[in-house]
Amino acid sequence: MQRGREEVIRTNLGRKIIIVLIAVVAVALIVYFLVMRPAMKREKAPVGIEEVPEETRSVTLYFAGPEADKLVPETHEIAVEEGLEAQVRAVIAELARGPADRDKVSSIPDGVQILQTFWVEDTQTLYLDFNRALITNHPGGSAGEYYTISTIIRTIGDNFPQVRYVQFLVAGYPIETIAGHYAVDKPLDVLRWR
Amino acid sequence: MIGFGRREQYRAAAVAAAVLLMCVAAPAGGGPAVPPAADEPDATIGVVYADGRPTEDVALFRVEEGSDELFLSAYHVARIFKATKFWNPGARKLVLRIGIRRYLFTVDTRVVLVDNEPVLLRVPVKYEQGSVMIPLEFISEVLAPSSREDIELDEERLVLTIGSPDYNITHIAFEEGDEGTRAVLTLTEELLYHVDSETPGLLRLKIYGGSLNSLLFTIPQGEGLFNRVRAEQTEHDAYLFFDVKRSAARFRVEFETDGEGRDVVRRLVIFLEKGELPEIPEVDYAGKRMLEILDEDARQRWREPLQRIAIDPGHGGIDNGKVGRSGVKEKDINLEIAMLLQERLLDALSVDIVMTRIEDELVPLERRAEIANAEGADLFISIHCNGWFHPDAGGFETFFLSPARTEDESRLAREENESTRFENPGLSAEEADDLDFILWDMVQNEFITESSELAELIQQELSEVLDIRNRGVKQAGFKVLKGIQMPAVLVEVAFLSNNEEERLLQDTDFQQRIVQGIVEGIRRFQNRYSTARGE
Repeated sequence: MQRGREEVIRTNLGRKIIIVLIAVVAVALIVYFLVMRPAMKREKAPVGIEEVPEETRSVTLYFAGPEADKLVPETHEIAVEEGLEAQVRAVIAELARGPADRDKVSSIPDGVQILQTFWVEDTQTLYLDFNRALITNHPGGSAGEYYTISTIIRTIGDNFPQVRYVQFLVAGYPIETIAGHYAVDKPLDVLRWR
Repeated sequence: MIGFGRREQYRAAAVAAAVLLMCVAAPAGGGPAVPPAADEPDATIGVVYADGRPTEDVALFRVEEGSDELFLSAYHVARIFKATKFWNPGARKLVLRIGIRRYLFTVDTRVVLVDNEPVLLRVPVKYEQGSVMIPLEFISEVLAPSSREDIELDEERLVLTIGSPDYNITHIAFEEGDEGTRAVLTLTEELLYHVDSETPGLLRLKIYGGSLNSLLFTIPQGEGLFNRVRAEQTEHDAYLFFDVKRSAARFRVEFETDGEGRDVVRRLVIFLEKGELPEIPEVDYAGKRMLEILDEDARQRWREPLQRIAIDPGHGGIDNGKVGRSGVKEKDINLEIAMLLQERLLDALSVDIVMTRIEDELVPLERRAEIANAEGADLFISIHCNGWFHPDAGGFETFFLSPARTEDESRLAREENESTRFENPGLSAEEADDLDFILWDMVQNEFITESSELAELIQQELSEVLDIRNRGVKQAGFKVLKGIQMPAVLVEVAFLSNNEEERLLQDTDFQQRIVQGIVEGIRRFQNRYSTARGE
């Protein structure tokens, strides 16, 4: 008998709890739909990838070790741009900004800017037109020149697999060399400048 | 600017969504759910990297009702394979760029486009708990066959091995014969090499651009005439050290190529010949293969004793080269060292000297090669100081010319392959393409092997006299070395961007030591070749 009453009491208590819970959930849902709905119209990006929302992409930039003895990659997030040429300009601009890590050294001379880029699909050649700072601000030395060329080529090669050749231009014209050691007057083969 | 505005809007929306998720779906577990799923994984897979990244466990999930198929999140796939990821929320499409390939996934479909070629998975790609979930079979069935990386998935033990280094020296085997023992190295491409047998009982083989798993090539108990083998991998090159038995009379190193097209097998064979009497292996030259292709005249010319050496002081005139902090100019230091070198070479080796410049003037790079060629020089030594963006770098290094690096050079190489000089009627276009690298070397610089040897000797001798860092012998496509019809090297004697070395470079004693190293290197080079001629 006693057990029966206890069960009844428990059931009643259980019912009350359920009612309260339903009320709480209902309120939460109303608040949810009224307040938050507009934010939900667009499907959210997947978690994890959300760290890289749809408007940025991660790119691998190459810098050099402080002793000029190796290439070292660093991942940066940059804005996604419309089209290959604009995206290339963004990547080179980010490369010229330099590494986040102090253990790495940028081999792009100060003040270097990319003026224009042209992509010629037929020949798989990307033309990079820099301002004169590429030459005038270059500190010289073959190690410096080597890594100036190779960090640019490697960065392009890794992020734009469709590019097979890179042609350097300065202020619109082909140049013989940047600092007097390496010929850059012709398109450079991305696969062989590694 | 516009781009940033939009980005911020989305970021705000994402933050709002995250806050809301935490309020409403509260019990799912606090904190930002960076990698996917707050759920307990159904399994984990161990990922082993060969590129030095630490081994890690990655969560796997069964997201398909009533199926045992395991999935992992796109986040993890991207991280493991260093992919660039693009997500199109409207179309629910995800692009992963892994290596040279592009993989396009669409949520709830089984089709993956690999560079626009459709491949069908057993189960569809899912979107669960805020993440695109990719079935594990994608890795073994789609990614592994299409990627250049070595990807191995052990589905039973759930271990994923990613062996990213592309070894180009893959295997070593020994073959015992009546005449002696062969050590056979299997290569994936034709590589330049250099053999040094100066130490009795030891053959030191340097393979330029070689990469190998040194554990695989370290053999404590060799076979036949090989006592043991040791291997070392440096940043650019591979070294193999063969301890040979005293009954080995002589040795030979040869390249062998078997098969056709894609099935071609390339082997580098170190052959040790048995002798009646125990003898020390003789000096042999890595350049044999190259020499056979040289015409008689060219071969004869440089086999004569050295008569004339061209010295090329780098830069000059309006081209200062590197300028040090104190204002000292590379062109001036180069000239000072070159003039000292001229003096010492005249004394020590009684040779003629050709200078590409003796004043502070601009001499175009092609002109320097022309001068040396026209004067019939036997060696070409270019003197430079190095420069770097950071004061830390220092040391000396010696370069010789590397293979083609421009489109134009590659095209020329292909043309050369078709030209009558190297005509081989049995060769398909594809095979010819495979060969262009090495053939171009010979066209470009028939003396590349001798150049590498000269570079080695100069670098070794410099290391005897200089206390700065030895950066080794390197290959590079220096413009000044192209088209030079003789063994040619470029010495970067020290860094003007390094404060201490900038001071040393202006010190006559230091300059004299550099000159001494270069002269000794040239002397050893000359001795080797006159020995060779005497055979």
